[in-house]
Amino acid sequence: MVIDAELRRVSPWRTRFRGESLAGLALVAAPLSLLLLLVLLPTVSMVASTFQFKTEAGTHLGLARYAAFFADDYSVENLRYTVVWTLISAVTSVLLALGLALYLRFSSGRIATMIHALSLFPLFVPGIIISYALARFLGPNGLFQLLLEQVGVTGYATPYLTPLAPYIAFVWENLPLPVLVISAGLAQVSDHSIEAARDLGAGTVRILLEVVLPQITRSLVIAFSLVFIFVIGSYTVPILLGPPAPEMMGVFIQRTLGELMRPDEAKVQATILLAVASVIGALYILTMTSRSRGDE
Amino acid sequence: MLNRRHFIVTAAALPIVHGTMAFAQDRKVLQVYTSGDTNISNWWNDSIKPAFEAANPDYTFNVTITRGVGAENAAIAQRALAALQSKTDPQVDYFEEFEPASVEGSIEAGLWLEMTTANVPNLAMINPAAPEAPIRLPYRGSQVLIAYDSAKISTPPKTFADVVAWAKANPGRFTYGRPDKGGSGSNFVIRALHEGNGKDPAAFTKENFEAAKAEEMLQKGWAILKDLHPHTFGEGTYPAGNTPTLQLLAQGAVDMIPAWSDQALQALNQGVLPETVKVVQLQDLALCGGFAYSAIPSNATDVEGALKLANFMISPETQTSCVREIGGFPGISWDHLPPELKAEYIDVIPVSIPTFPSGDWQTAKNDGWYTNVATNLVRD
Repeated sequence: MVIDAELRRVSPWRTRFRGESLAGLALVAAPLSLLLLLVLLPTVSMVASTFQFKTEAGTHLGLARYAAFFADDYSVENLRYTVVWTLISAVTSVLLALGLALYLRFSSGRIATMIHALSLFPLFVPGIIISYALARFLGPNGLFQLLLEQVGVTGYATPYLTPLAPYIAFVWENLPLPVLVISAGLAQVSDHSIEAARDLGAGTVRILLEVVLPQITRSLVIAFSLVFIFVIGSYTVPILLGPPAPEMMGVFIQRTLGELMRPDEAKVQATILLAVASVIGALYILTMTSRSRGDE
Repeated sequence: MLNRRHFIVTAAALPIVHGTMAFAQDRKVLQVYTSGDTNISNWWNDSIKPAFEAANPDYTFNVTITRGVGAENAAIAQRALAALQSKTDPQVDYFEEFEPASVEGSIEAGLWLEMTTANVPNLAMINPAAPEAPIRLPYRGSQVLIAYDSAKISTPPKTFADVVAWAKANPGRFTYGRPDKGGSGSNFVIRALHEGNGKDPAAFTKENFEAAKAEEMLQKGWAILKDLHPHTFGEGTYPAGNTPTLQLLAQGAVDMIPAWSDQALQALNQGVLPETVKVVQLQDLALCGGFAYSAIPSNATDVEGALKLANFMISPETQTSCVREIGGFPGISWDHLPPELKAEYIDVIPVSIPTFPSGDWQTAKNDGWYTNVATNLVRD
C-alpha cells in the first residue's frame, strides 16, 4: 500500500516511537481509558445483568429474558424488520456509491468535480433535517407528487410513514461515506492493470468484474459494514418517517425504556441489537486486519 | 454655530434629564419563571408586560425562561424551598406554570401561597370546569379538539360516534397521532377508551389500576380503534406527533384530525392551516384537556406585587388576550369574557374538561395501542 510504503520510508519516526513506546502509550491512554470506562465497562455490566436474576435465595443466571423476547411476536417482528431494512439500505448505499466512485475514478473535469462535491453533501445534513424535508417532499400532496401530476402521472402513493421513506432517507444520508471509502479503494487500482486487460481484449464489464472489483473487495466490505452499523442504530429517521409498527430497534428500545419504564426488557433488546451489530463489526475488523496482514 | 456657554449648560443639564428618566423607570421588578414554549414566553414579554406596566405603574416584571435547562422550574422551586428554610431571599416571585406537588415536601413546608378572593379578587370569576385549588391558579387551558376542513365537511361531528362514522365513510381522510408521541393522538385514544367504557372518565383513576381489570377495560377501547384502523390515513400509518398530524391536515392529505386547541388556533391565526379549517369540541363527552397553573411562593420577594400580577392574569382583558393570541382556553368563566368572543368560540367551549390518570394507565394505554391497534398483534 502506498501509505504504508510512505510510512516505511520515513522510518526514523517509526523507530523513535518504537524506542519510546511509553510516549506512544501515553498518547493512546486518554482515549483508551475513556473507551474502557465509558463504553466497554458499562456495556459488559449491562450485558451481564440481562442474564442475572436476583431473588431472596441469591443471584442466579438464566436466559429467561431472552426466551421472553423471542416468544413475543411483536419484539421478533421488530428485530426482523430492523435487520432486513438495514441490510437492504446498506446494500443499496454501497451499490450507488460504487457507481459514483467508478464514475469519479475514470472521469475528470468540472462536472466530475461538481458530482464529487454533491455526493459528499449529505454528510453535512443532520438526520432531523432530511426527515422533515423528505416528509414534505415525498409526503401526500408534496412537491414530488405535484411534479408527477404536472407530467400526467397520477395515482402516486406516498412512501411517508411506510418502510420505504426511512429507506430512502438512509440511502441518501449514508451515501458520502461509502463513496469516500470506495474511491480510496479505487485509487489503488492501477491504470496499468486496466490498460493491460484492455490490450488483451477485455470489455468494460469484464474489466470491472475481473480486474477492478477483486481489487476493491475490502473497500466494499468496509463501506457496507460502516453503513450497516449507522443504520441499524438509527432513531430520528425511522421515528419521523417510518410506520408506527413494526419499529426499528432503536425506536423500540427508547420506547421500552423511556415510555414503558421497563429497563430490563430494554437491556435485552439492546444486547440483541449489539449482537447483530457485532457480527458486522467482526466482519469489519477481519477485513481490516487481513489487509494489514497482506501488506506485511 | 453652537455657543460655548450654551453647550456647557446643556451638558450640565444632561445628567439631570437622565436622573428623572431613571426615576420614571424605577419600578419594582417581579421575577417570573416559565418553562413554557416560545409562544408562551413571547406572549408574556410582548403582550402581558406592556399591559401590566400600564395597569400598574409601580411594577414591571422580568421573565426568566427555564425551558430545557436542567430541572426547569422545579430547580427554582427547590431553591425557593431552601430559601424558606434558611429565611433568605428566594429571588422568585411568580411561577408562570408549576405543579407544587412536583417538589416533594414543598406543600407541607408551606412554600405555596394560598390565593382566595380576599387577596386575588378576580378569583370570583374562575372557570367552574377548573378544579379548585388555592395554591394553584388555573390561568390558561388547552384541550384536544376535532379539527376539520369545512370545505369538505359541511356537518361537523358532534359525537365520537360521528367521527368514527365519518372516518369509515371517507377512507384515508382521517388520522390521529401515535399516543406516546403527542397529546392530540393520546387524548383521542383516551376518548376511545372512554367511549368503550360507558363514556365515564371516572372509570379510570390513579388508584384503580389493576392489570387484569385494566386489560378488559382497554380491550373495549381497542375494539373501537381496531375497527377504525383500516380506514385511517395510509391504512394505519399514524403520524409521529402533534405537528406531523397538523401537517397532514395542512397539506390536504386528510380532512379531519384531533388537535390541541392552542396549536390549532395559533396555526389558523398564522395561516399555517387553510382558512377553511374549523375546530369543534365533541358534545357527548369532550376530549381531554387541562389547565396550566401558576403558583406563588409564600416567601416571594414581593408578595404584594405577585398577587397583583396573579389578579391581572385572570382579569377579563388578559384572558381575552389568552384566547386571541395563544389560542388558550380561559381560566375564568366564558361568561366574563366579551360576548362576541364567546359567540366566536361557541363550538369549542366544553361543558366539562375530562382528564385521564398518569402512571400505570398511561403506560398500559400506550403499549396496548402499539401491540393491539397499530399491529393487530397480541403481545404476550
